[in-house]
Amino acid sequence: MRRGAVLVLAAVLSVGALAMGQPKYVVLCDIAWAPFEWVSAKGAYLGFDLDVMRAIAIVEGYEIEIRDTPFDSIIPSVIAGKGDIGASGFTINEERAQVVDFSEPYWTSDQAVVTRAGAGLDVAGALAAGHKVGAQRGTTGAGWVEEQYPDVTLVLYETYPEAVLDLLAGRLDAVVQDVDPSKQAVAQYPGLLEIAGIIETGEQFGFLVAKGDPKGILPLLSSGMAKLKESGAWDLLISAYFGPALEEIEAAWEASIDILLVEKDVLKFAQTFAALVAE
Amino acid sequence: MTLEAWSQLWPKVPVLLQGLVVNLELLAGLLSLGLVIGVVVALVEVYAPRPFRALALAYEWFFRGVPELVLLFLFYFGPSQFGVEISAFLAAVLALGFRSSAYQSQIFRGAIQTISPGQSLAARSLGMSRLGVICHVILPQALRLSLAGWSNEFSSVLKDTTLAYGIGVVEVMRQARYLTARNFPLALPAFIVVALMFLILTYAGNWGIGLLERRLRVPGLEVRG
Repeated sequence: MRRGAVLVLAAVLSVGALAMGQPKYVVLCDIAWAPFEWVSAKGAYLGFDLDVMRAIAIVEGYEIEIRDTPFDSIIPSVIAGKGDIGASGFTINEERAQVVDFSEPYWTSDQAVVTRAGAGLDVAGALAAGHKVGAQRGTTGAGWVEEQYPDVTLVLYETYPEAVLDLLAGRLDAVVQDVDPSKQAVAQYPGLLEIAGIIETGEQFGFLVAKGDPKGILPLLSSGMAKLKESGAWDLLISAYFGPALEEIEAAWEASIDILLVEKDVLKFAQTFAALVAE
Repeated sequence: MTLEAWSQLWPKVPVLLQGLVVNLELLAGLLSLGLVIGVVVALVEVYAPRPFRALALAYEWFFRGVPELVLLFLFYFGPSQFGVEISAFLAAVLALGFRSSAYQSQIFRGAIQTISPGQSLAARSLGMSRLGVICHVILPQALRLSLAGWSNEFSSVLKDTTLAYGIGVVEVMRQARYLTARNFPLALPAFIVVALMFLILTYAGNWGIGLLERRLRVPGLEVRG
């Protein structure tokens, strides 16, 4: 399939579905957080969150439009009715649950402490008093450092890559972020970065909708997730997205995504995708 | 920043250019909106009766006084409170366009006021209507005189289009971020390329406005206080 054709096809399909009378929901996502969501070299939106959203939409019979939105703006947008579902690796917490409703958890994540390779620091050493530690603004990692390690100097960044660049430049002693994106960062700088340690915070990710779920989306998400888990598609997606290098994931995804978008066969997509990544 | 990062970035330049096209669309929208409203506000401030003048001044005060990023958020989130759906792109054009119109109105007002009042008196005494004086005597001169100040506003709003990134318009900064989120080492080269793009655009735009200024110059016309 030609470059960009996948995107065009997705757009055409969503327009077609509107004509057929299927409900359509707008999914908001900050598409810059591999492997949960990112933009491929060819410009397509992919990632675990997004494929789960696409797959649930198919098994539950509705259409989605994925709209890229800065992370800070997703919850305000859902509250203002500018989007229906927030799917962007949101940790479920009290503060957020007061203004939006969460689906049941779909992912459990811990925080990783990343340091420069050869720094010889463990978690306690990296977060020692007086050290400068970076984190992304508005994330649970930032909140966690603030609470647990009041003696370190916390530096907040708009995006995770900026924090990593400052760590490489020697302006930070460590960066705290969720385990999976941290692994991706370390993989991108072989020999320069390492994970000093994992802090088991056991945070749970959920999809979110407007308070009170006025459109009745949560039951669809919950039943969709159950179906994906039952068929085995869920675990296949996890094996495809968590571990391999981004280039390999992208190549496999581009070769198999038509099965999901055109044939609308969720299980066959997950099987083909996971098999191609494993090769 | 390694040579390898640059060689990885090079094939991505078309993607950044795609984003830049969106910035140019934003620019075209906001400049035309700003131009039309700016001229009207300037005319109202100079010629209209007092209550209208107060209204124009209040408009100008609001849009010059509120930070751009705040305006963007107000226009993006505001209308949906009243059930009006607005896209991020349209919200950006409106917010930045209204803001620019407030600044442009000051450029036009200044230019209008440099045209000697004797000219309108003379035209009126020849039997021209008030509107005729504005359209045929004042504005043709004032708009020419505005071009220098206007090139300043052009350079300023051209760069402001990148702020639309904050409400999710997929323009050049957002494209640059897609690249860096996927491949961290591309961050510095990507932003250097974006900087170069804007340097070139600013230069080209100002050169074009300068050319226009020379082409439209009326030989022998001078401004006297």
